[in-house]
Amino acid sequence: MRDKLGEELRDVLQELMNISMGQAANELAKLIETKITLSIPHIVTITPEEFAEIFDSADRYWFSRQSFLGSLRGEVIALLSKSGTDTMASLMDYPLPLDDATTEELILELANILAGACLKGFAEQLELKANLSMPTAYRPAQDKERQFRWDSALLMEVEFKVEQSMFGSKVLICLEDQSVDSLINRLNTLLE
Amino acid sequence: MSVPVTIADDSAFSRKTVMRALPKDWDVLVHEATNGKEAIDAVKAGLADVLFLDLTMPEVDGFQVLQYLNENHNKTIVIVISADIQPEAVELVNSLGAYRFLKKPLSPNELHQALFEVGLI
Repeated sequence: MRDKLGEELRDVLQELMNISMGQAANELAKLIETKITLSIPHIVTITPEEFAEIFDSADRYWFSRQSFLGSLRGEVIALLSKSGTDTMASLMDYPLPLDDATTEELILELANILAGACLKGFAEQLELKANLSMPTAYRPAQDKERQFRWDSALLMEVEFKVEQSMFGSKVLICLEDQSVDSLINRLNTLLE
Repeated sequence: MSVPVTIADDSAFSRKTVMRALPKDWDVLVHEATNGKEAIDAVKAGLADVLFLDLTMPEVDGFQVLQYLNENHNKTIVIVISADIQPEAVELVNSLGAYRFLKKPLSPNELHQALFEVGLI
């Protein structure tokens, strides 16, 4: 994948991700009236082993999964830090203390805003369709039967940090192999 | 005489997007900068009567470039073109003396409108 992409396409993809995460951060910033700091997006191909390692950080993160279908098919995974959850809850007018149900509601709402806006911005700029399903919470220890089917995936990672709280989030977009080809075709068109 | 214009953005694709969006009949001499440091160098070298400036760049970012221009009472006309569109970024950029804030993805119409309003075309 790294070779398939090449320097020029990687630059385009990174810029498209940059714009999408800018839109996603703005959505959240408006809602909580707090500034969000953005990282430079990170685009890598990963092996199933590396993919599995993401979920070793279950002591630090909540996870959500959202699949999307259309001319782009794949899955968005959001990692939301456990630290700062209470701050986010109060910024978003959730009653404290959080119980299990309200915690799940909060992380799914956050995942939907960030991952949703990220994917939407990305697909729009590429003029490709990607219809996103509702997010579901993913618990690596319990949800063993809900396996991931990524043999290899193009993984686009963006990182959000909420200023004045310990909260941070990562959004991973995983694409199916076929979608990677459609993606590359579109990127080439954009470069012409 | 051609107007010296610098496009500062770390993404080659992004610089190309700005270049394509410039009005066809605007007589400019385009210079490219890939980070804030190069942007400041371009200003010093007289290559930037107009500066199209990205905010998130490695080494020296767009805010620092604006800061520098502000402190040195520089007359460069800065048009910020940014993916970070949060209200705080817009406010900060305006307070640092940028003429316009345009959001990415860049719309050629918005760019033309901005150039017209500033009196460049």
